[in-house]
Amino acid sequence: MEYIAGTVILIALFIILAASYNLIIGYGGLNTVAHPIFFALGAYSSALLGIHAGLPMPVCILAGIAVAVLVSVVLAVTTLRISGDYLLIASLGFQLGLLELINNLEFTGGPAGLSAVPNTFMGERRGLIYVVICVLAASAVVWAIWRTMNGPFGRAVRAMRDDELACAALGRGLISIKILIFAMGCGAAGLAGGLYAYFFQYISPDQFQVAQSAQILTMVVLGGIGTTMGPIVGALVLVALPQAINFLQLPNSLVGTVQGLIFTTLVILFLFLRPGGLVGHTGSQSSHGAAH
Amino acid sequence: MDPVLRIDDLCKSFGGIVVADHIDLTIAPGEILGLIGPNGAGKTSLFNLISGVVPPDSGKIQLQGRNIAGMSLHKRARAGVARTWQHMRLFRTMTVLENLLMGPRDYPGESLVASVLGLGRVRRAERAAHAQAMGILERMSLAQTANAIVVDLPFGQQKLIGLARALMNDGRLLLLDEPMAGVEGSNYETMQRVVHDEAAAGRAVCVVEHNVGFIKDLCTTAVFMAQGKILQRGTVDELTRSRELTELYFGVAEEA
Repeated sequence: MEYIAGTVILIALFIILAASYNLIIGYGGLNTVAHPIFFALGAYSSALLGIHAGLPMPVCILAGIAVAVLVSVVLAVTTLRISGDYLLIASLGFQLGLLELINNLEFTGGPAGLSAVPNTFMGERRGLIYVVICVLAASAVVWAIWRTMNGPFGRAVRAMRDDELACAALGRGLISIKILIFAMGCGAAGLAGGLYAYFFQYISPDQFQVAQSAQILTMVVLGGIGTTMGPIVGALVLVALPQAINFLQLPNSLVGTVQGLIFTTLVILFLFLRPGGLVGHTGSQSSHGAAH
Repeated sequence: MDPVLRIDDLCKSFGGIVVADHIDLTIAPGEILGLIGPNGAGKTSLFNLISGVVPPDSGKIQLQGRNIAGMSLHKRARAGVARTWQHMRLFRTMTVLENLLMGPRDYPGESLVASVLGLGRVRRAERAAHAQAMGILERMSLAQTANAIVVDLPFGQQKLIGLARALMNDGRLLLLDEPMAGVEGSNYETMQRVVHDEAAAGRAVCVVEHNVGFIKDLCTTAVFMAQGKILQRGTVDELTRSRELTELYFGVAEEA
């Protein structure tokens, strides 16, 4: 039972991560690889607050979201002003540097991580309660992104992705649009981080490596970049798939390699054969509905 | 009447290349001013300087008496500079209507919070912009294309959509960068009629165009530019009759 709950929770959390990453790169066209670090910021902030301040779980998770948002705004303000390509490089440096910091600081537990995250719910139903919380959180995030992207703000975001110069020449301040979607996406990653820390009660720098952005990107691309349902389908498939691989009972040394091969092969295959993803349209029609 | 646009001593160079060399220019309300000259004369650069794509090195750009030379691109649009692009720059994944809805220079509905909450003023702004967009499309006989993805339309219609999107900005200055390139037949007539009507309604229009026929059909006056300078201002006939200017520009065409 606990195993199934863990898998469902992982799927829900990856739906949050994939949907928010999709918001940033799919809708916003902002190329960042720093998504795992905001996942980590949410996880570490809420875990540390829970451990040291003893605050209730919702408060800690909200604080984790706030930290992720604040840090994302700092990163956005310093890099988005320049140009898209700089963001990619800056985000890579940011991801690597900050994770290295977490890896070496004492209060974050260094490479060993934090293992004493307080347990909020006791008993047999713990798994079920977290399943409900995480599924609700994932639904809320997906709904919020859908709602945002299908309103006038989302239209401006898509216009910016299509043509920044034309969008600015129509009177739209691009920097503020970029900062907003970046903060929104990173805040959602922080939420996933807080929930992750509280359910698994153990976090370490290993869980937030830069390679994870490749995994999340795979979910987005496979599901359908720039769509609402895409990240959900992508997260479902790509969390369930490794679990299925586990059942093959490969030697431990092979599991990581096989997973890596599958992820990269899937991205390449989908980019060439079905760039719209599993749920995306095949042609240019990626964004109906908003006009009606 | 006070000019809509008044440019004084505008200078801009990129490294050693001078694209605006002490330019003075005024455009009055209702005027359609043609901007002609050989390739590389600085016509599109002048549009980029006026609309704020590039900042000037020195000089003044006054829009209805307000100096906009130091403003960023999006603030100038909000101040009332509407422009089109030689290569249209339409939002390719979006419908015609969505493209137009990006046009109003001030749009309260696009604030993130208001947009998500769907407040009453958002719905009102959305309805008003919707009605304005459909009105413009009807004037161009393009209402039936409203929900088509914009890149699926024929080229000439896309050019008209580029103009339509610019017209959603109700500012007083309209800059048209080669509106007629590749436009023929009924689309040509529509373009001509709409631009004419906009000027008649009091907008100041400036057109960069290689199609001298169109300039003749439409423009009351024109300026001739070469090497970042304005060489002469006059009626289109005066400019085309000038031997010196003809050699600079039209002479090449006659040889071909």
